[in-house]
This record gives sequence, structure tokens and C-alpha cells, in this order.
Amino acid sequence: MRLIDRILGRRDDTEIAHRLHHLEHHHAVDILTIPSGDVARRRLRATTLGGEEVAVALPRDQTLFDGAVLVLDEAHALVVRVGEQHWLRLVARDKADALELGYHAGNLHWRVRFDGEALLVALDGPVDDYLVRLGALATEGRVSHSIVDPVQAH
Amino acid sequence: MNQIRTIEAVPSSKGTATAARIGIGGPVGSGKTALIERLIPVLAGRGVDLAVVTNDLVTKEDAERLRRSGLIDPERVSAVEAGACPHTVIREDPTLNIAAGDVLESRFPGLELLILESGGDNLASTFSLDLVDWWMFVIDVAGGDDIPRKRGPGVLRCDLLVVNKTDLAPHVGVDLDSMLFEARSVRGDKPVLATNARSGQGVEAVVDAICRAVLFAP
Repeated sequence: MRLIDRILGRRDDTEIAHRLHHLEHHHAVDILTIPSGDVARRRLRATTLGGEEVAVALPRDQTLFDGAVLVLDEAHALVVRVGEQHWLRLVARDKADALELGYHAGNLHWRVRFDGEALLVALDGPVDDYLVRLGALATEGRVSHSIVDPVQAH
Repeated sequence: MNQIRTIEAVPSSKGTATAARIGIGGPVGSGKTALIERLIPVLAGRGVDLAVVTNDLVTKEDAERLRRSGLIDPERVSAVEAGACPHTVIREDPTLNIAAGDVLESRFPGLELLILESGGDNLASTFSLDLVDWWMFVIDVAGGDDIPRKRGPGVLRCDLLVVNKTDLAPHVGVDLDSMLFEARSVRGDKPVLATNARSGQGVEAVVDAICRAVLFAP
């Protein structure tokens, strides 16, 4: 098992990008995909797309990110790809329902972003698990919902 | 440069960046401290250098219990008083617990595992990944066989769900197999283990899970 105990740099750092470009020509760049909900973990074990099992044990002042380079030598590189975060887009029917929606989102400790008149909720589980928590707001159509394409969310 | 190293057993994880930090949460009285009292000797027996941070509401009760237990050097047990809802110091603002962990790591340089025990809370309690690398949630049979069905965030999101006090099932009218089946049903592919912290039954499996997840044992 390969032990990863620090991040070497970013894939778009000039010198690193040059070396990765060279390795990519030799199909020697492996990818470690991390679900968005796990990206804050300092320690985890995972299997790369190439099938290598790795153990990540970072210092507490470092966290993984999309494009983090974990291995870079003459023959091989390993780069982190963070899985796409899906968002639940909620739109309240009127101000009173928006207030109630805001209360629920805070009380439930959901991770949210604001998008104009919509509230985006980070999905860490099935959509129904979130809607059921809204109770009458969802069942009575006082809040409408849709799933945001991860690309659009950026 | 990160290198390939052969990680064959827990002790070989020494030398990694920092100690692994794991959380243990769950409702009041589910057996979190009792489980830790069982985990300590098993982990120590496997050569794991460990310390514990306990959280209580307004006392240091759990820390004092562990210090008096004779299972661990009292200096390796630190107490955090949440002062408010216990989840606030393991999720919303875990600064106090991070600081307590940092102090223990600086005091014991060879530390490999830091166990952070939450104060007893409700089923919505979860750990911030800023604080821990991995966490388990402890519920108990006597708390009711409907707990898994209630789909609390603690039950659903933890890395390991522990159903404790299995010995009490026949005394409280709980069908243990059914409760475990429902627990596994709501958690998808995430693991569920049954323990009896009083007798030690199931504790080895919990230690196996910890060692595999964060100490990279085979």
C-alpha cells in the first residue's frame, strides 16, 4: 500500500503541469477520486482508478482538493479528482414560506448556498431524505424543488 | 515525496503525519464511555499509542471515570466541557476539541490514535470532518428497536454504527436480529456492528474497523 503523507502541489502549478503533461503521454497519471463529502478527511484509504490501494494521512493543516498532486516521480503521478457535488434547488412560494424554509435549513444544519431567490442544499444522501424533513412545505407545494446540474452550480 | 511503504500492521503506521482522530458519538447512556473502556486495552494490546478527549456538558465526569479506570495513563485523558448542546463542540465549532487534541499530540509525540468522545446527544448529532477523520455512532438496544427506523443523521452518516447492550434485548422486548436488519437497511453499504460493552462481546470487531479505516491495518 502506498502511504500519502503530504500534498506535493497543484496540477496547474507550472512546473508540475509540465511534468504531468509528459507523464500523460505515457499514460502514467493515475486518478484518486474522492467523493465531495469526504474531501475534508485527513485520513482515509482508497483505491485509485488504476487499481492501486492508497492510504492518505495528511497533516491536520492540509486537506485534499480537486487537482491535488499526491505522487510525482519520473514514471508515475497520482492526482486527486473530487467527485461532483449535487445540489437540491429549493424555491419558496412566498416570503412566509421562505422564512419557514430558512428556519428548517438552519435547524437541520444543511450546507447551503444562495442562488437569487433559490436556496441550494448540498446533497449528501437521497433527495427524499431532505424533502421529508420539510414536511408540509414540500407536500403542499409551498416549496418547489429540482436537482442542479453540478456544472451549472459552479 | 510520497513513497510506497508496506503497511502490514498497525504499529508500522508510526511515522505518519499526525495521530488519527476518531469520534464516538451517540445518545445519553448508550454506552460510549463503557465502549471506550473496552477499546483501550484491546487497542493497547495491538500496540496502538492512544489518548482520549472526553466531552461533557458541565462536568468532567467521563474523563474522571477513565482516569480512575486504571486502563490508561490519566495524563492521556483530557476533558472538554461543552457548556451547551454537545454537538456544538464536535460539529459547529470544534475548536476546543481540536485544541485539546493538539495539546495531547504535543505532549505525547508518538501518539497514533486520538479518541474523541462526544457528550451524550440526540440522533441528529454528527461530527465535523475538521475534527475527526472517521467516527462511529453508538446506540443501544434498550433505547428502543425503532431508533434505526427514525433515520437520524447520526445513525445514517456515521462511518460505523454500533448497536450496544445486546445482552439486554430479551429483557426489553427487542428482536435484536430485526433491529440489526433495519439498521443495515437504512445505512446502505455502511457497516453496522453489535456489541455488549459489559462483557466485551463484539469489541474486537470495532477495533478491527478502527485499525483498518484510519491506521491502515490489512
